[in-house]
Amino acid sequence: MVQTAASSSRTNQPGRIMEARGLSNFNFSTLGRAPLRLAMKQPVTSQDLGILESTPDLLQTPIPEADGVAKEISLLKGFNATIPSSEKGKARRRQVRNVQFDDENEGEDSSHRKLGMQARGMLTEGAHNDEEHGTHGRKRRGAKRGDALTASKILGKEELSRQRREILQDKENLHVRRRLAQAEIDEITRKINSLDLIRSQLEQDLLRIQEEDLELEDELRGVQERAEFEEQQQGSTATFQPSRRRKGPAFLPSEHDDLPHGVAFMTLASHNAPITALDISEPYGLLVSASQDESTRLWDLSSGEEIAFLRGHTGIVKCLQVEGNLCVSGGTDNTVRVWDLRAVEDEEEALNQSFVGSLASSPRFNAPSIPDAEEEDDTAVLVERPKPAAPARPRGCLRTLEGHTKTVSSIYFEDACLVSGASDKTIRQWDINTGQCVLTMDILWALSHAASQPAPSTSPRGSTFSIPGLPGASLLSAASNSFSFPSPPMADGSWDMYLDFVGGVQFWGYALVSGSGDGAVRMWDMRTGQAHRTLVGHTAPVTCVQFDELHIVSGSLDKTIRIWDLRTGGIAETLRFDYPVTSLQFDSRKVVSCAGESGIKVYNRTTMQMSTLVTNGHTQPVERLRYMDRYLVSGARDSTVKVWAI
Amino acid sequence: MHTDLPYAADAEVSLSYDELEVLRRQFQREEEQGHVTTQTKFNYAWGLVKSPQREQQVRGVHLLQEIYRAEPSRRRECLYYLALGHYKMGNYEDAKKFNELLMEKEPANLQAQSLAALIDNGVAKEGYIGMAIAGGAAAIGTLLIAGLIRRAARRPE
Repeated sequence: MVQTAASSSRTNQPGRIMEARGLSNFNFSTLGRAPLRLAMKQPVTSQDLGILESTPDLLQTPIPEADGVAKEISLLKGFNATIPSSEKGKARRRQVRNVQFDDENEGEDSSHRKLGMQARGMLTEGAHNDEEHGTHGRKRRGAKRGDALTASKILGKEELSRQRREILQDKENLHVRRRLAQAEIDEITRKINSLDLIRSQLEQDLLRIQEEDLELEDELRGVQERAEFEEQQQGSTATFQPSRRRKGPAFLPSEHDDLPHGVAFMTLASHNAPITALDISEPYGLLVSASQDESTRLWDLSSGEEIAFLRGHTGIVKCLQVEGNLCVSGGTDNTVRVWDLRAVEDEEEALNQSFVGSLASSPRFNAPSIPDAEEEDDTAVLVERPKPAAPARPRGCLRTLEGHTKTVSSIYFEDACLVSGASDKTIRQWDINTGQCVLTMDILWALSHAASQPAPSTSPRGSTFSIPGLPGASLLSAASNSFSFPSPPMADGSWDMYLDFVGGVQFWGYALVSGSGDGAVRMWDMRTGQAHRTLVGHTAPVTCVQFDELHIVSGSLDKTIRIWDLRTGGIAETLRFDYPVTSLQFDSRKVVSCAGESGIKVYNRTTMQMSTLVTNGHTQPVERLRYMDRYLVSGARDSTVKVWAI
Repeated sequence: MHTDLPYAADAEVSLSYDELEVLRRQFQREEEQGHVTTQTKFNYAWGLVKSPQREQQVRGVHLLQEIYRAEPSRRRECLYYLALGHYKMGNYEDAKKFNELLMEKEPANLQAQSLAALIDNGVAKEGYIGMAIAGGAAAIGTLLIAGLIRRAARRPE
């Protein structure tokens, strides 16, 4: 009967306990537990439930083999070694060793205790009886004065053996505690290391965030410029001509994002000699490149095809700048030419048409020295035909600015103002529209003027009036007619004589910055034509210069790039390379430079890391580069121009 | 590896109040400093588990669970202590689960074996009580039904 009742109870009664715990099995033990629980009035606390709930998880966790300190010292051992009662043995032994001075006077205060209390300044009974106490102490029973304390006590064998055991036990305990402490120290060291790792990763993240911040700043400025422009240009149809200093993002086709980063995806190889100068109007727009084969070519970057030649210069073109459809170039024929690139295209078309039209009477003039790769009929062309039959063909070259007496090696223009630097050691300012030279700044004069000043003024560096730049770059060599400096060899071992006295120029408003062959970077005021500041630091001719609101960056043949603070004139940073630097461009986040190698050097200014662009790159040292946002164009000694996505 | 474990009887012997206080203060001090060493935590947890008050046992088991989660190298010992703690609190199922896991790892462990026997005894005892209750309930039930039937049988008379 009991069994049937039991079976019925099993099926019929859903116990309260079962509900509380969600158990599926219900047997006698749970039934028996209920009254026990009720009797004891156990409140089911949250902790209680928490423990019960976490059991299945805990059972799942893997249990590795115990090793290290866990194997040596079990928790229980540690417990017994570290609980306060483990100290009891020591205390007991010390108490045993406490020697009683006076066995007969145990009720009274011992003399020593009294002394101690008197020393602390407390009143004791019978304090006036010092003398008596002194004599009192002498009457120690069974011990003469001078006997050691140990002699008065006999411990007994049992006590001693017990003490010995206790001491050994205590030693064990100490060993355990030492081991535990060492283990904890190791643990903490490990934690510290992992935290350090996390911290260094976070610091790198911080750098990356800073870089992005700078990029956004530039973008913001670009957007603001554009907003202003669009506000102003309500009616007119002029296109947005941002200045060269524009830093914001460029308009790039969407496919550009898909290009692999740091790879040269286009190669333009028509030139036959090392590239000497290049510039682009905009990404995927027009490219103008010049090389030592005395040709200047116009390319269409969206297709990668060569469109035209810029005909006009005799000799090699050493410097170029392209803004929109306007191009300015200077070369070894001592002239500066201004080109309209649309007209250049038209000129080329006209030439081609007339060439195709009538082979025999192709009117080619003004260009006997240009080797035209397209033509096949040399003999027919070399003969000068004096008479153009057709109407005046469109001329790409708008204007020719003459005035320099030596090679024009660097050039910069903005709106209608153009500045050129030449190997005759002068810098000239021109008006493009009129073609007139407005101002001539003589570097020689600035040099000699600076040297002739008597006393060292309050120059902060304390360096006095040593001639800036090259050591021993005396006035003599500067004054001499021809300037030449042997450039250090590049990565492939080649070197040549560097002949350009003015390596780079740039201006903004009335402030002009020039880098010259004496290694000095000069800041000029174009209103007065005076150099008001000279930045000394380079020990070889400066080949390239650029500045923005905060810094001037100059590269030179002394294998360094120096970043100067614009306000103070001090050096903010120096980047060292293995080979001479020939060209650079920078923005708030990076400095991209050609440093005598086949790879293009990119220096990240926030993380201070240097990297190189080599993939599908040049085979000989890079000479010139130009980038806009994430589109970079480079020209090298291997006569090719490559386009990169950075 | 044979671990050094206390027999279940040791868990029934509780520490004095002062000793437990010292352990508690040590634990709190280390907690304030930020880093509690495993040994301190275990000392306090073991002291709590040994005490007769259920709240303290619960707290002790909670701390042992924390140790179990945090220290992989100590887990095997903690299996035993957790089993012991649950056994003392009366959670025989959990105690059994932990103990069985331990016995899988160390079949020759004497303490684990003795604890297994104790748990089985406990379960059996509860079972007897349960049976007694069920029997009592059944008896009362039959009496009631008999009474009802008798009343029903008397009525028609």
